[in-house]
Formats: sequence, structure tokens, C-alpha cells
Amino acid sequence: MFFWVSAILLTIGAVLAVLAPLTRKPGSAEPAASHDLEVYRDQLAEVEREVERGTLDSTEADQARIEIQRRILGLAGDPGAGPAGGKGGFARMAGAAAVLSVPLVAWGVYGMLGSPDVPSQPLQARLEADPADATVDELVARAEAHLATNPEDGRGWDVIAPVYLRLGRAEDSVRAYATANRLLGPSATRESGLGEALATTTGGVVGEEAVAAFERAVALEPGHAKSLFYLATADAQRNLLDSAERRWAALLGQLPADSAWRMPTERALTEVRAEIAKAAVPGPTAEDVDAAAAMSEADRGAMIEGMVAQLDAKLRENPNDGPGWRRLVRSYVVMGRRDDAQEALKRGLAALDGGEADELANLAVSLGLSVEQ
Amino acid sequence: MVETGHFALVLALALSMVQAIVPIAGSHRNDARLMAVGGPAAVTAFALVAVSFAALVVAYAQSDFSVLNVVENSHSQKPFIYKLTGAWGNHEGSMLLWVLILTFFGALVAAFGRNLPPTLKANVIAVQGMIGVAFLLFIVLTSNPFTRLLPAPMEGQDLNPVLQDIGLAIHPPLLYLGYVGFSVCFAFAVAALIEGRIDAAWARWVRPWTLAAWMFLTGGIAMGSYWAYYELGWGGYWFWDPVENASFMPWLAGTALLHSAIVMEKRSALKIWTLLLAILTFSLSLLGTFLVRSGVLTSVHAFATDPTRGVFILGILVIFIGGSLTLFALRAQSLTAGGLFQPISREGALVLNNLFLTTATATVFVGTLYPLFVEAVFGDKISVGAPFFNLTFGPLMLPLLAIVPFGPLLAWKRGDLAGAGQRLLAAFGAALLTVLAVLLFVDSASVLAALGTGLAVWVMLGAVTDLALKAGWPRVSAAVGVRRLAGLPRSVFGTALAHFGLGVTLLGIVGVGAFEQEAIHSSKPGDRIEIAGYALTFQGINQVAGPNYVEDQGHFALSRGDAALGTIMSSKRLYTARGMPTTEAGIRTLGVSQLYVSLGDPGEDGSIVVRVWWKPLVTLIWGGALAMMIAGAISLSDRRLRVGAPSKRWKQPTVVAAE
Repeated sequence: MFFWVSAILLTIGAVLAVLAPLTRKPGSAEPAASHDLEVYRDQLAEVEREVERGTLDSTEADQARIEIQRRILGLAGDPGAGPAGGKGGFARMAGAAAVLSVPLVAWGVYGMLGSPDVPSQPLQARLEADPADATVDELVARAEAHLATNPEDGRGWDVIAPVYLRLGRAEDSVRAYATANRLLGPSATRESGLGEALATTTGGVVGEEAVAAFERAVALEPGHAKSLFYLATADAQRNLLDSAERRWAALLGQLPADSAWRMPTERALTEVRAEIAKAAVPGPTAEDVDAAAAMSEADRGAMIEGMVAQLDAKLRENPNDGPGWRRLVRSYVVMGRRDDAQEALKRGLAALDGGEADELANLAVSLGLSVEQ
Repeated sequence: MVETGHFALVLALALSMVQAIVPIAGSHRNDARLMAVGGPAAVTAFALVAVSFAALVVAYAQSDFSVLNVVENSHSQKPFIYKLTGAWGNHEGSMLLWVLILTFFGALVAAFGRNLPPTLKANVIAVQGMIGVAFLLFIVLTSNPFTRLLPAPMEGQDLNPVLQDIGLAIHPPLLYLGYVGFSVCFAFAVAALIEGRIDAAWARWVRPWTLAAWMFLTGGIAMGSYWAYYELGWGGYWFWDPVENASFMPWLAGTALLHSAIVMEKRSALKIWTLLLAILTFSLSLLGTFLVRSGVLTSVHAFATDPTRGVFILGILVIFIGGSLTLFALRAQSLTAGGLFQPISREGALVLNNLFLTTATATVFVGTLYPLFVEAVFGDKISVGAPFFNLTFGPLMLPLLAIVPFGPLLAWKRGDLAGAGQRLLAAFGAALLTVLAVLLFVDSASVLAALGTGLAVWVMLGAVTDLALKAGWPRVSAAVGVRRLAGLPRSVFGTALAHFGLGVTLLGIVGVGAFEQEAIHSSKPGDRIEIAGYALTFQGINQVAGPNYVEDQGHFALSRGDAALGTIMSSKRLYTARGMPTTEAGIRTLGVSQLYVSLGDPGEDGSIVVRVWWKPLVTLIWGGALAMMIAGAISLSDRRLRVGAPSKRWKQPTVVAAE
């Protein structure tokens, strides 16, 4: 508001400055020669003053007078300014154009360059402002300043951790959650937040560390929806589709009707069921998964590797299989074999076309692989 | 507030366009109403730019980090005074200051120009308006200080630590007052060319502007020199740095203009030459602005390194310098030339002054631009430093300084050189005695130093002689002399004091150049450094935290013989925001000389390198400049019309080298 009022007042002032002289009576300037004459008269008077003061003697004064008089005579031949020729019409037109140009140019240029809606933001006022009105950046800066001086304030770390995550500063978020856990002791909310932040650092892939965090959360609070959802996602990403399906189905059963997790869970369940049905190559059966669960870590690794190698070989023979390529690429990423994933991606993109190729490329991007086009 | 400032700036641009066009159209059609638009437009444009500048300063004062310029050049922990000065310690802000001063002078012409013929006034204001349009466009389009940054960060990047000094509060404003002040002389010259006639009182009207600009430029250069002297840590006061030369060239040309304008005002001679000098002086100011602002030079001052800006300023340069010189070439023929005079006369002496000064300007010009030329054409980086200027500029200045005392003693139109020489005999004798005294008692080895000292004394006593003669001494009694002295026009005192100041500065330069002593000592606490009869005892170093820096302070106890003279503190600072170090020399003024202590790098054994200089007479360098500034102010206060009374005595001029 201040801006608009001040801008309008300034504009009015500027327009008046141009307008005022134009509203005077028309007239023409007196010729410059008459000014010269005045100057010479002043000079003659100055000679008299100098004589009085004693800085000129009489002969010098005479010389000076003669010279000035000679200059006055010279004026006769000086054309000076021409006769008065102010035409009313031209002046009116030019005047009107000048008056109008001021607001037009100013508002036009300012319209292109200015940011009239952005208020001034003095630092002190920003720091003292009601936090409800502050932007997230300001709040974060204030909290960071506070935490820099009070690093043992667990509540502070707990508050800032999810904000970091929302701002995309996943690593800061991991650090903040970990610090809050250390200072305040673990809670399901913090552990699941840590898991979420960890998953964000790896581009959405729920890795081992994240899974561990979610499992700790579930241990603390068995029905913790977010953690259960992420654990199912982790299974899906590992291609344990049946396990994922069971987890999501169980989650859906326990969620209250108004839970925010209901929608995503339903969608994930639909997707995973479609995936299972669509799978040209059957994924691991429920028995396989149960068997895997019973196996030792090393054996399980070996089994998964065997299955992936199988899939890989199958796709070499029968490359026109979009879901298969997606599963293969995701599997390699989950297993940490990024070079293989990259290589599989290349082969898949070469083999597929149209929508299937796009889908594979999208998946690859979401997994943090580089897609050459 | 920020956006109001931005809007005011754009409004000033719109108004300057009106100011540049309407009055000139009015003068062309002899329409008093259109011509009258110029004055209020100029005053209002100044008010608007002032609002804009105030908005920027407020943004800096309040650390408003939604303004990009503030983010780039300020920091919330910076001391308040440097928050304010930081507003013009950067490219965008300093250009805004430039335009503020430009419109200020435009408003002054409008306010004080009531006696001017309306057509001349209209044209002068229009030319000022054109310069304003060019630079306002430059600011708005390429260097806008009001660009916003959203979301606003919570901290800025701090100002270059070298600029975090009180010098930044004084040096740029003074320098710009000087640079831009010459735009008024330029506008008067171009206005005269546009009209095709030079008014009788043209020189009278231009005089205060030339004087004011020259005065401020003198102060600005001296301040910059002293700043470099105490901030850069090794006590040099002049580096022949291109940026310094960029301010020195307009000063030399402006000094020439000051003198030729006197001839024009008093004797109606040298009119066309004076016009050309007015154009050249402001052209050199523009060139200086271009050199510094375009970033073609790399030095402390060149904070702008954006090629689009360079091209834009180059365009401004070509339009204004090229345009005005073309106008000059077209119209100069039709102007009536001034009166005639003998070579031996006040006019002749002033012509000689102009010859030397313009030649000196040309040598500085060549020395400054030749490296740029070589780099642009051959791609080689060369540097033209002090040796070049000492070899070229020095020999030009010496004869000029030698003839300075003669000028004011010669009569107008036809002078008497032998008579002037006779009357200067006392001053000459005193100078000769000084040379002998220096050779016998100070330093028998350095003849040049002795001669330099003698020259300085000669210039100073020449100025005193001038005053004494004008007062009538020794012909009249002391009392009458005092009365006549008091009755002398103030411009006479101005002349004498300015010339005296020149001698004082010269004495400082010779003193520090010839008799400087230096001691470098790797010191541990307790060590003694002896220099020029003084002893410094190193007491040790302690760390102190400033508002936005940490500082290692070295303390030295100063003594001479048995007398303790207190301590000197010299320090090295590290500005944390930018991680930049600076040296803060410890300086003790003793009489007109100074002891200069600077800390170097610490050694491995806990010692630190301490450099101490004894700088004899060094403060006279700036004291002389201060005298010249005061002289300018005294002359400025003399508002009379001046008439040069020609001498009637006719004497066949003896042949001297006055060509």
C-alpha cells in the first residue's frame, strides 16, 4: 500500500514539474545580446569598484574601460537570438507529449523491471516477526541460529528435522533426526522420520539403513502406519512383490477409515497386484520368500542373485519385456550393483520402444541412474 | 521503501528524457515556456534520484537481504557506518551515487542559473539531461541496485574488507563531485556550440563550476592517495595505477581549464581553446568512469566485470565524446575568436601552463591506455609503471613548476619578464640557499633531492611574493600594506594559496622520495628496531576479535633517546565472512613526518617480520592538497565579475622560450 501511494504521489509531483512551466503565458526569450550588454555594464561598474579599492590605478582603469566599451560596440554586429517565434500549436503539442511521456515511460519501464508486490524486508523485523508469518527459510535460519548456540537442544533438532526433509535437505534432516534420537531417546515418529530421510538421500530407494530405522519404529509402536508402508515399499523395490502385497493388505486392514495413509496404501496395493498378475516371468513365489526369510543372510543373498541372473538371461533371449527390464534394473540397484544396473538399462532401452521404454527410463531416473538419449 | 526507490529511479529517467529534449526544442523555436520546463525537471529529477539513493542506503542500514545488491555487499555483523558506506562501495551503488551527483549539479544550475540567458540555460540543462538519461539507462538496464532476491537469504556476503574503511565514506563522494562537476562545464561548452555563440559572461558563469569540480577532485584524489597509503600496508602514496591515472587525467585537464578560463573571463581570449578543454576534461572524466566501471582494468577498484556493462559505457563514451567533438569541429569556425596578446604576458604564461598541462595529460593518457591497447591488439599483458611516468611526466612538471611564480606577476596583455624576475629575486635567493643548506647539512650525495627541495621552496615563496607585491610591499609601509592586503579580492588569495599548496605537496614528495628510511626486522618480543633516531621496542602480539574480523595486534613502544613516546599498534586482520586478510599499519605522526609500522608474515620460531619506514615530510603531500582545496573554496566565494586590466606600458618583448 505504501508503495502505491508513494508511487502515485511521486508521479504527480513529476508531472506537475513538467506541467507548471507550460501553463505560464506564452512568450519568447529576450535576445542573448541584451544579456551580454548587462554583463559589460556590470564589468564597467566593477572597474570603478576596483579603482576605489586601489587595486587598479587610473591608467589601468582607463585601459580596461576602453576595452569593455570596445566589446559593447562589438555587440551591434552580434545577431544574438532570432526574433520571437514561439508558435502556440507546436508548444502545446510538445508540452502535452512531454507531460504524458513522464507517467507512461515511468510506469512502463517500472512495470517491466519492478516488483511492486515485494515488501521491504529489514533483517531485524524479519527476526522479530510473528513466526506464523515468516517464510520457511526465515524460520529455518532462526532455528539454525538457535541450534548453533544451543547444540544440545534435542527439541530443536526434533522440530527442524522434518522441515529440512520438506525443503529437500535430506542429509541435514538425517543429521537432525539422528541428533534428536541421541538427545531425546528414540521414538517411532523420529525413527520413521530418519528412515524417510535416509530413503530420500538414496533417491527414494529404501535401503538397509532405512529399513532398519523403520523396523525400530515398528518395534516401538507396532501399528506405525508410515513405517509399515515404507517397509512394504522396500519389499516391492526388492522385487518381493508377494511380501509387499501382504504387508500393504495387512496395513490396509488395520488403518482407521480417515487415515491419510489409506489412499496411498490402496493405490500401492492395486499396483503391486497388477504387477504380480502382469509378471511375464513369475516373481518369487510366497514359498520362495518364506524360504528366503528362513535362510541366512548369505544364502538369501545367493538366492536373490541367482534369481536376478536368471531374469537377466531370460531377457537376453526375450528382450521385449518391459516389466522384466524394470524389475532387473531395480534389482541391480537394490543389490548395489549400479554398473550392472546401468548396463541393463542400456540394453533394455535398446530393446524396448514407445511407452515401455519411457517407463523404464522414468524408473531409471527415479533410481538415480543416468539415462542417455 | 525499496520499491519506492526503484520507482523513483525510473521516474527520474522519464523526467530526464523530458529534460534532455524539451528545453532544447524550446531554445530552437525560441519558446520560453518549453525552455522553462528544464529547470523544474532538473530539480525534480534530483529529488527523485535522492529518494532512490536514500532508499538504497536505508536498505543497507536495515540489512534488507531481499535486495540482491545488499546481499552481495553487506553483512548483518558489519559496523553500522560501513553498512551505510557499503551502499556505494560497489558497482551499482556507486553508479547511483554518480547520477545523484550529476542530477545535483543539474539542479544547482537550475537553481542558481537565474542570471543566465534563457536559451543558454535551457541548452545547458538539456545537455545535463542527456548525460542523465544515458547513465540512468545504464543503471536501470545493466546495473540495477534494486534487483530483488526472493526468497531473501538471512545473511549477506560482506563488503570487500579493504573498502571497510572511513575512506570509503569520503573518497568516492569527493571524487565523483569532481568528475561530475566537470559535466557542467561540458554542458556549458556544448550549449555554446549548439547556439553557435559564446556569451560575454560564459567564462564567468563556468568559473564556479570549474573551481568547485577541481576542488572536489583535488580532495578526492588526495583522500584516495592517503587511503592507499595507510591501508595497503607499505606506505606508497601514488602507484601510477590506471585507476589513479583515470582520476589524475581529468585533474590535469581541469587544472588547465581553470587557467584558460581565467584568460577567457578576464580578457575574452582563448575562447575556443577553453571550450575544447571543457569538453576534453569531462571526456576524461567519462573515460575514467569507463576504465573503472567496465572492468577493463583489474585492480582493487574494478569491482565490475560484466562485459555488457563495458560495451554500454563504451557506447556512452562514443556518443558524448564523439558527438561533442564533432559539434566542436562543425561549429568552432563560426565562433568569434578572442583578443590578441603578446607572448610575454599573463595570457602567455597561462598558455604555457596549458601547453605543459595538456602534454602531461597526454603522457598519462598514453601510459594508461597503451597497455590496454597492446593487450587488445597483440594479446600481451604489459605494465607501464612508475619508471615510464617518472621519465615522461616528471620532466614536464619540473619546468612548469619553475615558471609557476612568474605567472601571477606578469601583467595582462603585455608583461615584463625582467621586471617579474627582479621582483622574484628574494624568493630565488631563498630557494638557492635551501639547495645549499640541504647539500651541506642533510645529504651531500643527492643533488636532485637538494634541487627538488629548492624548487618547492621557490614555488612556495613565489606565491608569498605575489601576495606581498599585490599588497604594495616593500614600496608602502607595513600598515598600508596590511590594509591593502585585506582589501585584495579573494581570488588573489586563492591563487596564492593554491600555488603555495603546490609547493607544499612538492616538498612532501621530495622529502619522502629522497630521505625515506626503511628497516625490516624479524622480531621477537623485546627486540629493538632503530630508525631515524627513534627506537621501537616490540612488546608482542595479542589477538582481538572485532565485530566482523579477528585481529593480530602488534604493540611497539616508541622512544627517542631516553624519552618514551607511547606505543604504536600495527595489526593484521582477517575478515571472517570473506576469509580475506588486510593490514592495518601503525602510523605515528611526528611533526610533519611519520613513522609507519607494518606487520609481515610470522616466522617459524615465533618471530614476525616487522617493516618500519621513516617517512619524512610525508604529510605535506596531503597538506598541500588540502591547501589547494581551501584555495579553491576561497576563490569560489569570490563572486565578482572579473576584469583583467591590460597594462599600458609598451616594451619590446625580449625573446624567451614562451612558445
